[in-house]
Amino acid sequence: MCSSRVVSKWEKALAKLEDQSEERTAEPVGTPDPVDAASVNIFSAEFAACPQPTYANLREKCPVSRSAIGGGPILAKHEDVVWALRQPEIFSSKMDMQLAMGTERPMIPQQIDPPEQTRYRRILDPRFSRKRMLEIEDDVRKSARDLMDQFASDGSCDFGEAFAIPLPCTAFLHLMGLPQEDLGLFLHLKDSIIRPQEQEQEGMAVQQIRADAGRGIYEYFERAIDARAGQSKDDMLGFLMTAEIEGERLTREEILDISFLLLLAGLDTVTATLGCNITYLAENPEARRRLVENEGLIPGAIEELLRWETPVMVVPRVLTQDVTVSGVDLREGELVSLLLGSSNIDPSAFDDPELVDFERDRNIHVAFGAGPHRCLGSHLARMELRVAMEEWHRRIPDYEIQPGETPRFSPGIREARYLPLVWSV
Amino acid sequence: MKVRVDQKLCVGHGRCYELAPEVYDEDERGHCRLVASSVAPELVASAQRGAVNCPEHAIRVEEEVDP
Ligand code: HEM
Ligand code: SF4
Repeated sequence: MCSSRVVSKWEKALAKLEDQSEERTAEPVGTPDPVDAASVNIFSAEFAACPQPTYANLREKCPVSRSAIGGGPILAKHEDVVWALRQPEIFSSKMDMQLAMGTERPMIPQQIDPPEQTRYRRILDPRFSRKRMLEIEDDVRKSARDLMDQFASDGSCDFGEAFAIPLPCTAFLHLMGLPQEDLGLFLHLKDSIIRPQEQEQEGMAVQQIRADAGRGIYEYFERAIDARAGQSKDDMLGFLMTAEIEGERLTREEILDISFLLLLAGLDTVTATLGCNITYLAENPEARRRLVENEGLIPGAIEELLRWETPVMVVPRVLTQDVTVSGVDLREGELVSLLLGSSNIDPSAFDDPELVDFERDRNIHVAFGAGPHRCLGSHLARMELRVAMEEWHRRIPDYEIQPGETPRFSPGIREARYLPLVWSV
Repeated sequence: MKVRVDQKLCVGHGRCYELAPEVYDEDERGHCRLVASSVAPELVASAQRGAVNCPEHAIRVEEEVDP
C-alpha cells in the first residue's frame, strides 16, 4: 500500500526518496540525468498507485526529464508547468491526430488554441458556471442517494462499480438532457476509448477499438440531435443546438466535437477523484472522523485532496518553437508532458506540501489545469464531489479497504479500478 | 484597502468567490467580479484570503492611495 498516503508515514516516502537519490549523488542537483529519466515511467500503473515520492525526486533532481515512453520532455516544477500552461502560443494543445482518442477531428475546446478556443469558451463558460451547477445539485444528490440505497445495507461494495462510476455518468446524462437508460451504453463507449487495453484480449488493435467506439459516440449524438429536430430544450444539448458565436449557429460537427469532449472529460475524472478521496479517507480514519463530525470541512478537504492526489496527473502539449525550460533546450514539435501532480506538491508554491491539511490557508493547486484551458467542468466537478462526499459519509461514516486487498490504480488518470470497501451494518 | 483583478489573467477558477463571497462575486462567465473595489477594514482579511488562493495570481490587494 502507498505509504505516502498516510501523513504520519511520510517519513517512509522520504527515506525511499533518499535511497533513490543516493545512487546519483555524483550528479549536480538540477542536471537532467538520462538514466533517471529512463527509469521513471509516468504512464505506468505502479507510478499511478503512489506518485508523490517520484514527483519530489523528479522535481529536485531532474525538473525537465525525458519520458520513458516516446522520449518527450516532462516538466515537473510548479513554476515551469504553470508558465507553460499560460503560453498556449508556445505550448500548443493542437495534438497530432495520431494521438487522437477515437475522434475524427480535434475535440473542442481542449485540442484547439486561443484565440479560436476562446470563442468557444465564451459561450460554454456561462453554461458551466458555479451558479448554474448549483441549480442541478438536488438532482445529483438524489442520484447519489438512489445509488446508495442499492448497496448501503450490504456492508461491502466495489466503490467504483457501485458508486464512483455511475454517479458522474447519471449527472452527465441529466446535464445533457439524455435518457438515463443510456447509462450502460455510455459507460461501454467511453471505456473503449479511454481503456482500449482492457478489451485487447478480444484480439482487436487498440486504435481499432477506439475508432469503433468513437464512431459509436458520434452516431449516438447524431441520433440524439436528430430526435430533437425542431423542439428546443433547456439542457446542454438543446443549448448547443441553438448557441451562436458571432451570430452564427454551431455546425453539426462543432456540436459533436464538443459533446464528445464533455463525455470523455466529464466522467472518468470525477470517478477517479472520488476513488482517490475515498482511498485516502479509508486509510486515514482520523481525517475521516473530522469530516464526518464537521461537514463544513468537506469543501476544503476536496481542494486539498485534489492537490495531494491530483487525479489528472499530467496534461500534454506540443511545442510550436524551440524553447529553454529550467536550462534545458526543448525542440519545436516535441510532445511535452506537464506534470500537474508534481506542481501540486512543489515546496516553492505550497507550505508543507507533504502535509494533507483540510484547512490549508493557501491552496493554489492546478488539479484543474491553469491558463486558458482551465477545466470547463471544474464547478460541476466540485459540486458532484461535495454532494458525493456528503451523502457517502452521512450514510457510511465508518469504512475500510477490505483487509488483505490492495486498490489498483490506472495510469494517466488515477482511477481506482479495484477498490473493495467494507463497513459494518 | 483597494482590490484589483487583472481580467487578462482571470480564467474563472472561482477560488476567490468560493472562499470570500463578501468581496468577490462571479460574472456570467464565472470570472471574478468585485463586490466593491474598495474594501472596509473588517473585510481585508477575506479579500486577502481570496487573493492568495487565486491560482492565476490575478488579484491584488493594496493600500488605497489618496488622490
Ligand atoms: C475532478 C474532476 C476533474 C478534473 C480533475 C479535471 C481536470 C481537468 C484538467 C487538468 C483540464 C486541463 C486540460 C489541459 O490543460 O489540457 C481539464 C479540461 C477540461 N475539462 Fe476537466 N476535470 C474534471 C472534471 C470535468 C468535468 C465534470 C467536465 C465536464 C463535464 C470537464 C470538462 C473539461 C473540458 C471540456 C476541458 C477542456 C477545457 C479547454 O480546453 O478549454 N472536466 N479538466
Ligand atoms: S480565483 Fe483568480 S482566476 Fe479564479 S475567478 Fe478568482 S480571480 Fe479569477
